[in-house]
Amino acid sequence: MTNFEHNKFSAGTARIFLSIAMIAAYLLPGSASAEIDGVTGTSFDLTASEGYISVADGASVYSWGYSTDGTMQLPGPTLILTQGVPVEITLSNALPAAAGNVSIVFPGQVLETATGGVPGLLTQEAPNGGSVTYTFTPNVPGTYEYHSGTRPDLQVEMGLYGAIVVQPAAAAAGCTQSAYAHSETCFDREYLFLLSEIDLQVHQAAEDQSSGPGPIDVGTGEFKSNYWLLNGRAAPDTMAAAGTGVLPSQPYNSLPRMHPGEKLLLRVVGAGREMHPFHTHGNHVQVLARDGRLIVSKTDPDKLAGPLLFTIPSVPGGTYDAIFEWTGKDLGWDMYGTGAAREHSCNGVSVNAETPSSAGFDPVSSEYCPDHGKEIPVTLPSLSSLAFGGFYGGSPYLGAMGSLPPGEGGLNPEAGFAYMWHSHTEKELVNNDVFPGGMMTMLIIEAPGVTIP
Amino acid sequence: MNITRNGLVGTAVLMLITSLPVSAQDSSINVQCPETTTLHPTGDGIKCVHLSGGDGMVTMADGYPQYIFSFANIPLPGEPGVPADPADYPGYAMETGMLAANAPAPTIVVDEDDEVYLTLTNVGMAIRPDLFDPHTVHWHGFPQAASIFDGVPDASISVNMGASLTYFYLAKDAGTYMYHCHVEATEHMQMGMLGNLWVRPRQNKCDTLTDDAAVPGSVCPAGHVNDETEYAYNDGDGSTAYDVEFPLQIGSFDPDYHDASFEVQPLPFAAMKDRYFMLNGRGYPDTIDPGVIQTADPLDGTLRNSQPVSSLIEAGVGERILLRVSNLNVTIFNTLATNGPPMQVIGLDARLLRDGAGENMYYKTNSLTLGGGQSADVIIDTTGLNVGDTFFVYTTNLDRLANDAENFGGMMTEIHIN
Repeated sequence: MTNFEHNKFSAGTARIFLSIAMIAAYLLPGSASAEIDGVTGTSFDLTASEGYISVADGASVYSWGYSTDGTMQLPGPTLILTQGVPVEITLSNALPAAAGNVSIVFPGQVLETATGGVPGLLTQEAPNGGSVTYTFTPNVPGTYEYHSGTRPDLQVEMGLYGAIVVQPAAAAAGCTQSAYAHSETCFDREYLFLLSEIDLQVHQAAEDQSSGPGPIDVGTGEFKSNYWLLNGRAAPDTMAAAGTGVLPSQPYNSLPRMHPGEKLLLRVVGAGREMHPFHTHGNHVQVLARDGRLIVSKTDPDKLAGPLLFTIPSVPGGTYDAIFEWTGKDLGWDMYGTGAAREHSCNGVSVNAETPSSAGFDPVSSEYCPDHGKEIPVTLPSLSSLAFGGFYGGSPYLGAMGSLPPGEGGLNPEAGFAYMWHSHTEKELVNNDVFPGGMMTMLIIEAPGVTIP
Repeated sequence: MNITRNGLVGTAVLMLITSLPVSAQDSSINVQCPETTTLHPTGDGIKCVHLSGGDGMVTMADGYPQYIFSFANIPLPGEPGVPADPADYPGYAMETGMLAANAPAPTIVVDEDDEVYLTLTNVGMAIRPDLFDPHTVHWHGFPQAASIFDGVPDASISVNMGASLTYFYLAKDAGTYMYHCHVEATEHMQMGMLGNLWVRPRQNKCDTLTDDAAVPGSVCPAGHVNDETEYAYNDGDGSTAYDVEFPLQIGSFDPDYHDASFEVQPLPFAAMKDRYFMLNGRGYPDTIDPGVIQTADPLDGTLRNSQPVSSLIEAGVGERILLRVSNLNVTIFNTLATNGPPMQVIGLDARLLRDGAGENMYYKTNSLTLGGGQSADVIIDTTGLNVGDTFFVYTTNLDRLANDAENFGGMMTEIHIN
């Protein structure tokens, strides 16, 4: 391990720490976040029901969603399945009568049976108060979506969608977790990025007519989104704790964290009806697969063939699996700082040694050793010349808090490097008419000593 | 408003990038630019850039003046026109940078392995003195970025008015990137703080490097001509060699939003809908104007260079044209098409299209769809064409072939074979 001591920069940071402790309790997920939140098993009872979601400009939006406990949830529960293991999903329709029938389709899966309910256009449907049962065997690992197959133009907009993760029957050779049975899909952490939108006019029309006889008439005007969601939440709620009581119908958050040198698997799902260019600050991602189909080289199937992208062009109904890595390679300066106050080692050599640099990445100290001991090449301006972000730790160095003016910083208690991951259609970084918000979150790259649940 | 255009100045204006000594930190406005570094002991390979962040006016192709925020180039100390006394430089920088915003922002071109010192001076919004916005530079797509130099204000620092912040980048991984301000990103990017940025590959200088299979670009491909052949990537096989290169940055403006900003009104985020569709900050036919477009500033009527980058693509028969296409509009995906020879896509998002086994994954197409924040490198081969041929690069989102109410215009330019 490196010899990191947080707070070495300023005695005054203790006060900041006190104030952020409370914020951190709200912000940082309490449950395990290295695994995707969801439900596992072979038999699932889902209920489609009505409720309200909160968006960060204060609005409360009438929605429909799938859940396992009858409390409307958006998106629906992430179904975490295992390759080759048959599953049975029973859907009960607790929507208002005006909503009509409801159903689920599973694009990318081959449905085996659909029993109960009534026949619909795309699949068997659950009538109001009734139920329907679907069975299929997920034969191909990867990331998929499920959504209503009944009047999907309305019901999917209202929130009847969710993600499916199919884990490979066995991890690839050489690792304990992989997205596919392929060694280049091994990962250390995985996160879901389910992208969707809200057109307020549709939701308001549905709410107005929900107690009537139906069917709900929402017109056929131009679709125009007002809210853009990441895992069912609009920023900054994306970064609130998973399962927080203040967002009872939006249990999933999006707050990816990792250490340098780790592999982070992104499972990106386009669950709405717009395309979103999802930009990963910090580095490129290596695309593994689209729609659950691994892309490998034609000449050497042991190698990947997906592109390296800094912006993932997410499309409606499509999914991407991609791996993000970050090592700080070739920064040109030591990201842990230099000098006696920033003592640490790389490949066992002290930063204050005569020749501190060496070759390669040290996975123990999480450092790219050729830059070890190199000073940051520029002088930062005085504090009065700068404005500070809530995720700024106060120094350019990873894991090192610095002093900040009162009221600044505080959202990044371990002084990780923060990178915005967001739709690069920047219009979608708003909540209706309020900036900032929308389809945005922060990746935090934490210093090696920091425990990530 | 009096709008004139100057057709006398040359085509694309690239930034003057040099290495000069400057004493840092004497003022809150300062440039950090070392003469030599450990990596570059002779000074070659040290690239310094000084940008202002502020406001200005541009002219849409239908003649409509548009208020923007953007960057402009500020000459470095020691360059022509710069006061000799270092004490005068901060004032000079403010004076040069104010009201000088360009669309697109000044093009930044560096070479792989360069150390780049990019100074941003916030000169304030002269037309909106009620605003106190800080600014940043986000080098979009920069690999292995450090948070402190990534330009996201929420994640790090941004620079206030009347002060400078110097970013440092060790340029690695050749390719077509882009840059923009990330402060209040929806606003500052709709307002125009967007620019072209690319990194030329090490392979251009392969003859000066020791052959090393572990160092991409150090081995010259067959057919390489020293100091002449240029490549888009360290391809090792010469397949990305080109004769002429042009940036094409897709962008679009919502005039209602810009006018609201100009008139100090609430900004319409929810209602944002672009109506000017552009390449390199201009709509057709301004895109093929080889000169610099000027716009009068509304405070004193001074004509200023507002849109320096022409999108006219000129090449000889048999030449290979590299188009560095990027999209920094903030509202929609766009498709760019050609009606001439196909585009061979050789790179996406500043990475050579090559699989893990080393096989080229290039493909030919006549249409290229990019969302905001995506880039692509395409090569058009003019072999077999004739002198005098003209082709078009245009959006097939045909409603965007418009300059607001003017029907024939928008996101289109021409390829001239000469």
